[in-house]
Amino acid sequence: MKKILLTSALCATYLFGDAATVLPVEKRTFDQSKYIPDISVILDASYVNRSKTNDEVQHLELPGVAHGLLGSHSHDGNEHATYNANQGFNLNYAELVLSSSVDPFLSLDAVLHFSENGVEVEEAYFTTTALGNGLRFRGGKLLSNFGYINAQHHHYWDFGDMPLVYEAFLGMHGINELGAQLQWTAPTPFYLMAGFEVLQGANEQMFGNSSLEVSKMTGDANDAAIVGKDAPTLFVGYLKSSVDVGDTTFFGGLSYAQGYSRIDHMEDEPEEAHAFAGKSKLYGADFVVLHSFDSYSSLKWQTEWLNREMDGTQYANKKDASGNLLTDADGYILSSPSMLKEQSGLYSQLIYTHDKSWKAGVRYDTIYKNDVTAGGVNRNLTDDFNKYSVMVEYHTSEFARFRLQYNRNEALYNEDDRKQKIDTIMLQANIAIGAHAAHSF
Amino acid sequence: MKIQVRLKPHFRKIRIIAQGFVMKKYLFLFLFPLSLLAHLNIAVSYPYIGALTKAIGGDHIETVVLAKGNWDPHFIVPRPSLIAKVRNADALIMNGGQLEIGWLPPLLNRAGNPKSMPNAPTFLNLSHHVELINKPSSVDRKEGDIHPDGNPHFHLDPANILLLAEVIKKFLISIDGEHKAVYEKNYADFLGMWQKKLGMWQEKMADKKGLKVIQFHDNLAYFNKAYGLENIGTIEPLPGIPPSSKHTMAIIELIKKENPCCILHDVYHATKTAEFIGEKTGIKIVLMPHDIEALEEVQDLASLFDYLTGAIR
Repeated sequence: MKKILLTSALCATYLFGDAATVLPVEKRTFDQSKYIPDISVILDASYVNRSKTNDEVQHLELPGVAHGLLGSHSHDGNEHATYNANQGFNLNYAELVLSSSVDPFLSLDAVLHFSENGVEVEEAYFTTTALGNGLRFRGGKLLSNFGYINAQHHHYWDFGDMPLVYEAFLGMHGINELGAQLQWTAPTPFYLMAGFEVLQGANEQMFGNSSLEVSKMTGDANDAAIVGKDAPTLFVGYLKSSVDVGDTTFFGGLSYAQGYSRIDHMEDEPEEAHAFAGKSKLYGADFVVLHSFDSYSSLKWQTEWLNREMDGTQYANKKDASGNLLTDADGYILSSPSMLKEQSGLYSQLIYTHDKSWKAGVRYDTIYKNDVTAGGVNRNLTDDFNKYSVMVEYHTSEFARFRLQYNRNEALYNEDDRKQKIDTIMLQANIAIGAHAAHSF
Repeated sequence: MKIQVRLKPHFRKIRIIAQGFVMKKYLFLFLFPLSLLAHLNIAVSYPYIGALTKAIGGDHIETVVLAKGNWDPHFIVPRPSLIAKVRNADALIMNGGQLEIGWLPPLLNRAGNPKSMPNAPTFLNLSHHVELINKPSSVDRKEGDIHPDGNPHFHLDPANILLLAEVIKKFLISIDGEHKAVYEKNYADFLGMWQKKLGMWQEKMADKKGLKVIQFHDNLAYFNKAYGLENIGTIEPLPGIPPSSKHTMAIIELIKKENPCCILHDVYHATKTAEFIGEKTGIKIVLMPHDIEALEEVQDLASLFDYLTGAIR
């Protein structure tokens, strides 16, 4: 009896074992596992210690330029957090990157940002690979190639935060839009590339095309609703070139962007509700010099200058505390003034890479021009915005880096227009796993 | 696609003007100096490939080398000037085996040149034609920055150079059949010369067989195999991971126990750790060039192996 039981048990095991045998990949019918795209996950987390509390920094602004640059704030019912928003620990993102060839003519890339607030499609685009003649077309959601740092992902930056002028003019995502891009590399012995982009035109800080019901906010029936424009409304063009002299690479670019502007703070800022509608132009110039001492050691100087002109009308709440329309001395309702903003700024950074393990850098940020005219009158806003940063980085390998960064921010003002000096110490971990494509220059 | 179709006749027109070599000569010289020259313009990743391709191609080709010979072949800065070189190439030859993974893909991606794309008949990956050794049975970055396809430094076995020469000959014939006879002849000449050299190097290295060596990174695996040298340890604890004091102490112990002849050191890593080990154990440090122009004395393929086979004394 025992024997029979044992035999049948063995037989069963044998049969079951046989059924469960896993075939090698090449023998599996209809197997597609070899087509798995390159997959990588990049984690970015930081520990932040700031000299002012979260609540204090949330209400600071660059008068006439931007507000909400530090800390988190809500907008359109969504919680927006800038990178490294909070005191203590921050999960900036867990980024999932997928990329693969589609067929002999196309490739596809997707960059998905997972954060505690949800998932954002940072980029998702197809790129042609077979057009020839130096031409390349890209479509989908993409980071514009305007300037130098705009097309780079956060995990590739040399500092944990965005340059001030970029963040102030364009918001923390830069020009990150739905649209199409055509680039042409010229058949010259040196590098010369021209590109043109047609984009939807919906940037947080500068570009927009939606309609705005401004009279509801201003309380003035004379304020006609702002008519929305049919997208695409943002056009970007650039020219980039580079030459090598020995072990030194010089790289320069000129960029231009033009579009409509809609800035809507009618509901999210109950005390100072305002909106802006108009047309905007953005000019950029960038210059990079990289000198390589050997395979692992180099010195890189990177500078970008941005200038913007925003021409439109500023709308604000015209009612006083008891709900009556505000009037001037002659009893006229205050009009919504035409507004022209001419603003310029730049950043300049120097990064020394010592070897595969150590890197250090300094950065200077400034916005030095802030001419805002409302109703033909210069509002004499401050143009004193500066920020200083230093960092040192340790890499355990190509795939993991730990960065200690110190920022001295002298660019933010409180509600009484008093300049605030904010010191920030930041420890950042940027870790990647999986198959991640190499970065371009 | 539309744009390409529109541009093509335009280019053809310029080509005709250029071939006629008339008035617009100077404009043409400025705009299209590389793409319209009579011979094939071949971009190659490393200097040794350039030299080999030039040896077979002779006067019918121009080679443009992307990486510099004295740099770590794993870490080449993807300078934009290299994009221009890839953009203007009629063909591209790479080493492969993931040696270029950290720098070549973004150049190909930016260049917009279908002739330099991996699926093109004008694209050659040499590693597909050589048997790679030390292929890891499992791949995990815990083990450092390993090459999943095996050790990619195969050109340092001089016998492999002959294999590669034949592969390149076939490749050139496949993209430029018109000059088949020239390529065959150049290959035959090269073969004769190299075989003579192989015998000389074999003789020079005969008494080195069985010697134990230490390296910084195992980039001489094929050279060691060819001449019976035995690599017993590397200064880096794991591939791509910088030396650690703990591992350095272990290597010093190993040297005392096994008594290897020397440290074969590449030219691009700092020799600081090797010198420290040398001080502690008295072991010799021998600089071993990995490619043409890695050292000033090494100006062509034959002198690379002349140097390597004469370096250990």
